[in-house]
Amino acid sequence: MEKYEVAVIGGGVVGASVFNLLTRKGVNVVMLEACPDVAGGATKANSGIVHSGFHPEPGSLMAKFNVRGTQMFDSMCKRLGVKYFKTGTLTVTNRAGFSELQRLIKRGEANGAGHMQLLNRRDLLLLEPNIADGIECGLLASNGGYVSPYLLTIALSEEGVINGGKIVLDYFADRIEKKGKLYYIYAGKKVVAAKMLVNCAGVKAGYINKLVGDTVFNCNYIKGEYIILAPEEKDFVKRPICMLPTEFGKGVFVTPTEHNVMFGPTAKCCKPDDTGVEPESLDYIKQQSLICVKNPNFKKAIKLFAGVRTKSGFDFVIERSHKNPGFYYAIGICSPGLTAAPAIAEHIVAMMKQDGLTLHDKTLVKRDVPVEFRKLSPAQQKVLVKKNPAYARIVCRCEQITEGEILDAFKSPVLPTTIDALKRRLRVTMGRCQGGFCTSYILKLIESKLNVPMDKISIKGPGSEITLGNIKTGGIYEN
Amino acid sequence: MKTDVLVIGGGPAGIAAAINAWIAGAKVILIEREYRLGGILNQCIHNGFGLHFFGEELTGPEYATRFIEMLNKTTARVLLNTAAVKLTKKDKLFVVSTSGEHGLVDIEAKSIVLAMGCRERAGGAIGLAGERPAGVFTAGFAQKMINCYGKHIGKKVVILGSGDIGLIMARRLKCEGADVVGVYEIASTSSGLKRNISQCLMDFNIPITYNTTVTKVEGKKRVTGVWVAPVDKNWKPIKEKAKLIKCDTLLLSVGLIPENDLVINHPIEISPLTNGAITDEQGQTTMKGIFSCGNVMHVHDLVDNVSHEAARAGKHAALSALGKLRSGKKIPVQHCDKIRYVQPTSVYKSDADTAHIFFRVKQDYRRAALIAYSDGKQIARKNCMIVTPGEMQELEIIKTRLGSDLVIKVEAF
Repeated sequence: MEKYEVAVIGGGVVGASVFNLLTRKGVNVVMLEACPDVAGGATKANSGIVHSGFHPEPGSLMAKFNVRGTQMFDSMCKRLGVKYFKTGTLTVTNRAGFSELQRLIKRGEANGAGHMQLLNRRDLLLLEPNIADGIECGLLASNGGYVSPYLLTIALSEEGVINGGKIVLDYFADRIEKKGKLYYIYAGKKVVAAKMLVNCAGVKAGYINKLVGDTVFNCNYIKGEYIILAPEEKDFVKRPICMLPTEFGKGVFVTPTEHNVMFGPTAKCCKPDDTGVEPESLDYIKQQSLICVKNPNFKKAIKLFAGVRTKSGFDFVIERSHKNPGFYYAIGICSPGLTAAPAIAEHIVAMMKQDGLTLHDKTLVKRDVPVEFRKLSPAQQKVLVKKNPAYARIVCRCEQITEGEILDAFKSPVLPTTIDALKRRLRVTMGRCQGGFCTSYILKLIESKLNVPMDKISIKGPGSEITLGNIKTGGIYEN
Repeated sequence: MKTDVLVIGGGPAGIAAAINAWIAGAKVILIEREYRLGGILNQCIHNGFGLHFFGEELTGPEYATRFIEMLNKTTARVLLNTAAVKLTKKDKLFVVSTSGEHGLVDIEAKSIVLAMGCRERAGGAIGLAGERPAGVFTAGFAQKMINCYGKHIGKKVVILGSGDIGLIMARRLKCEGADVVGVYEIASTSSGLKRNISQCLMDFNIPITYNTTVTKVEGKKRVTGVWVAPVDKNWKPIKEKAKLIKCDTLLLSVGLIPENDLVINHPIEISPLTNGAITDEQGQTTMKGIFSCGNVMHVHDLVDNVSHEAARAGKHAALSALGKLRSGKKIPVQHCDKIRYVQPTSVYKSDADTAHIFFRVKQDYRRAALIAYSDGKQIARKNCMIVTPGEMQELEIIKTRLGSDLVIKVEAF
């Protein structure tokens, strides 16, 4: 049995932030994740917006960690080699919403959300030519922008591993016991022990608290559905554009990502594991997005998806347990959870330090930033191809991802073994054909390089295999 | 690397174009991203290819092999495992940057033949709601896994869309022991060939339901079922009538999209109806020196038509490279509103002796006369008991009969 100082349950952006910070402070830490990859739950379906911090109620944890998180984002992303697009965010409205914008500015000022500016229609059009005709004014918040929530989480995890942390994937905790000074976390026959336990389990956070026998918080689960358009529509907007928030949440955004543009989320109560997109939601997203922008080309949609965020009351619940010493939990981490994640980690680690955890600064081992071959200059490309001809073999034709990049990913500190894990790291199967052409090659590569029989290779873990055995034996097929 | 004609794509279109460009006297290079020529024909192990071109029934690989053997007799150079990454223009030359087994190589050419084929429309593009489990395949991907990899992909299968690959795969899966629950088509007619409806569905007792679509996929890890609902006139599903069908696999055969992404930033006019380049009778796009043929231009039903069309494009690409391309007066091809699109969109008064006009109708028409008019006179005609959108129509125009205009019409007889 393996013993650690700290076990973090949950490999989403919050768990990975805690894990990462602890490794950088020389703590012997393990992160346990139920999915076959990190960022497997709500994180992967996050809109990726880094909020400046004018949304939350002043005085709330949300306000505090949002603003602190935004401040930390720049240097964190630079350190990790993750692209952070600091474009600012735009909130737009018709004439009637002007006073509401002023109210948001006041709230932002109270929270310390940084530079904010009211814009009229003419100024808005200079920034975003595709805003809707009815839009008369807007609020540009300079702090903030967008980031890939899963690339950030993967980078945090990888850096954590390089700096001495351990990650166990496919580890679904089903029993937690406290014996003496140790927490024993079981997953079937497997067991891990740690002196301190941090619950960052997202939609399962309530369940983990229950396993520990701690306070169970009332949680609501709210589904957010999205439509993604093909890369050629990417320049439709330059920064996240949102409408005025309502009592139900921040509403439907139009958000650029590094390679696409997406529309969403919706906000619907659901069961914690219900990540299905409702047919009716598509029309709703389309209608709602027209409040902000005009003529989005939904004919270029390539993917629909949904994620579930957890809400517990009106604020984050981030506490040390009073019943169980050494147990900490972050529950109800909904928006602005992504932005707040580094600050939440800082706060939790500070609590642990107060409770006796020894931290010491150590020399950081830097993470190798993965090669993005298509983004290199022709000269750089030629050098790489000379070193490794696999960089000249294009596997994913839509996103132009090479075999060299896939082989690199197989050497990553957090090994991708599923199609989805490779997809999130490299964008293979993420383009316009959605894997129709390249999945077969990727299956072959995983089979030959990772030594996994093809019938065992899955999209997202056991039960989601793609092929179901040989049709005939003894035939000669492609290999 | 330098050449007269560069053919991009080594499927049936690219091979026929390369052969004919070489016959016309040009130096030819063909690049193909796969390790072998033949393109999608390699996974089409069913028969029915070549009835028009060779007068016999061949399988896909057999049809490809005949053309590959012809190509091997030429001195056209073939680069396998080589993908075109970027197309640029340098003075009068085109430069195609390639990536592949020879490393990163720029190829300079005087003319280009686009023969990249098409891709399949996936679930996101048709608003397929629900979870995102394993078991949702585009039909062509499923075909590759079964025919080239020898893998089972599902035991109980629902097929959405009645494109030809979907119909072929219904039969193929049945032959491999799968339970094919049925084919659902949102339109009131199939987009596939009549012969495929008969030979792949009716002969195998596989039901097809029209005016019906799949609205939602159930299952977290693997498909456990799909919701199927009839649609109204505007193709909106009638939610109250939706029912859940248990299955572990959903095959999508919901359309093919020409892969024109290489030329997206060039002044090549793309038809919003076909998603392919608009070309004249010689196969030339609106960018001089760039020709297009096969499924990258418009999606065909029959490979035989592709071979003919590509032969013309290859020949004229060679003539263009050699400075021998004859032009002359261009006559636009007009059509009545029963026709969805025509290809080519213009013909030359002189040049070749005949022109072949391909077109698709918008819906089923019974007892339909397909007529070409010039100066108000019939110059070509075909009477059909039925024409459907799923079957491409063709009229041969004899140039000596051509006056000052050309209009294609569908009339009752």
